[in-house]
Amino acid sequence: MTHLVQVLLLGITLGGMYALMASGLTLVFGVMRIVNIAHASFMMIGAYISYWAFKLYAVDPILSILISMPLMFLLGLVIYKFLFFKITGSPRYGELTVLLTFSLALIIEGILGFFFTNIYRSTNPSYATDSILFGPFYLPEGQVYATLSSMGLIVLLWTFLLTTRTGYAIRATMQNRAAAQVVGVNVELVSMVAFGIGIALAGASGSMIAYLFPFYPAKHWEWIAVLLSLIVLGGMGSLIGALIGAFALAISSAYVSFFVGPTWASVTFFLALFLILLIRPQGILGKKMEG
Amino acid sequence: MSGNSISHETVYLGNTGAQKKPLFRAKNVFVIVLISTLFLFPLLQLFTGNINYWLHMLLYTFMYIAMASSWNMIGGYAGYVSLGHNAFFAIGGYFSASLLAYAGISPFLTAPVAGLVVMAFGFLVGLISLRTSGPAFIISTIAMVLLIKISFDNWDFIGGADGISLPLIQLHIKWVKIPFYYGMLLIAMGAVYISFRIRHSKFGLGLRAISQDETKAEVAGVPTSLYKILAFAISGLFVGMAGGLWGYYLTYLRPTIFLNIIVAAKLVLMSVLGGKDTVTGPVVGAIIFIAINECFRTYLGFTELNIVATGLLMVLVLLFFPQGIVGTLKELGKLPQILDWD
Repeated sequence: MTHLVQVLLLGITLGGMYALMASGLTLVFGVMRIVNIAHASFMMIGAYISYWAFKLYAVDPILSILISMPLMFLLGLVIYKFLFFKITGSPRYGELTVLLTFSLALIIEGILGFFFTNIYRSTNPSYATDSILFGPFYLPEGQVYATLSSMGLIVLLWTFLLTTRTGYAIRATMQNRAAAQVVGVNVELVSMVAFGIGIALAGASGSMIAYLFPFYPAKHWEWIAVLLSLIVLGGMGSLIGALIGAFALAISSAYVSFFVGPTWASVTFFLALFLILLIRPQGILGKKMEG
Repeated sequence: MSGNSISHETVYLGNTGAQKKPLFRAKNVFVIVLISTLFLFPLLQLFTGNINYWLHMLLYTFMYIAMASSWNMIGGYAGYVSLGHNAFFAIGGYFSASLLAYAGISPFLTAPVAGLVVMAFGFLVGLISLRTSGPAFIISTIAMVLLIKISFDNWDFIGGADGISLPLIQLHIKWVKIPFYYGMLLIAMGAVYISFRIRHSKFGLGLRAISQDETKAEVAGVPTSLYKILAFAISGLFVGMAGGLWGYYLTYLRPTIFLNIIVAAKLVLMSVLGGKDTVTGPVVGAIIFIAINECFRTYLGFTELNIVATGLLMVLVLLFFPQGIVGTLKELGKLPQILDWD
């Protein structure tokens, strides 16, 4: 029984981080219908920013979110302007976005690999390997901090979406792009900002995984597959769905890891993905998707 | 390619070129000459110095022609972009490899069976993943690759993540590439031929209708689910066969060689570069891509920069030439007759 609760706790501390990554991805899909295959490679950029900030200036990885987020936001704006401005309105938009972000992921991977080589890296602040003990349970300290900061960022994101004018505009565009345009929302500008936010969130998660999971440039393929399963499970474009998907899969993969073995933990994600496609292709909270 | 009489479907497609069909039209002659040249090419090994490099490049190109043409059946004709075709490649490779390692049967015999096994696998996966469309389908194909990768990494029977080594083929170094050369050539010819036949059949017409507007196609009586799943399965056939031979050629199989996402990216890029939804597009795309890549490797040598170049090329083609080389030329009316098999 203690074991079961312990595994549940570990799953929850992972789930918070997954939720942040999935939020950025699902936001970008919800507003622009872009399936951002490059999301995890943006996380890798964030991870490298934190890594060098820590290595060179001893900046705490969680604090380095303050550096990586604005930088990634700007990068997101530029990329949106150059890559996606042109193709809005193309008849094969959905497919094009996937292929474009896929190419983008290759470019980022190649550039990171060229500059930083393919060796495994990780930042190691003092708390990375410590544990918090209470009663019979323990929690890895670094993971707790990461999850708490992730949840903090998610709360900020929700406050922004629910209370500001831009937030309203973003949600309106997510619900119905054409109607939002009719009532006077500048959807292009909103899309650009939302893309920037999505990438900034990716950067923030990157800063956190930098000290929890060793990374190298091509690592993003493993991450993106996991993230895509999360948002397909929750329903693509649904922010609440992303939270549900993140926690559900983080917890179930923790159990699989405990009962079956750590190597099979990631199988949980892909099996869940296939199951959900089989039973309910639009995900738990999703609307029906179109190509 | 021209032996068949005029079929009802070709007329229906409005393909006026197919109605006359003299055997010695320029483009038929071109194909016959091309194929005979390719068949005779290895004879040079007898007369000149070592041409192993060229044999290698050609058989590598044949392999990608076969795979890109196969990809085009589902990704081009039906418009269902798959980023998971390297799963087919890997399954084909490992199927033949384990038969060689454990039962001693040559992959040259088992490669066609590998193709059929992959086809069956594609059919089963298609039953699930083709329930979705657009982005969700692409995601499901990526998931398929990763699922296969994890399974292969942990499956001790086929060597797990360490891979499996195969015995070398017992031939003098001078001849060792030649069986693979002919094998890949036959696979490439088969793939292009099937691609051509599908393009000019009612099946192909149905696939293209699905690509245009799936709901309307369904209403018009196209059995969309069946067609999509069949196209997905058939597109696995030659990829599986190529995998079977390629594993033997490398004599060493590891999941990371086959299940590298770059392999899938190449197939997409080749087809898009050459022009998807055309018969010759993937062929042209494969040849040009491999040529560019080889120059790049010779002069720059960095594999990381190679990845960047692949990505950049893909972005440029997608943004500025979404029709690809063959498609764009055709639109301009400048496509040479020998490349026009649509």
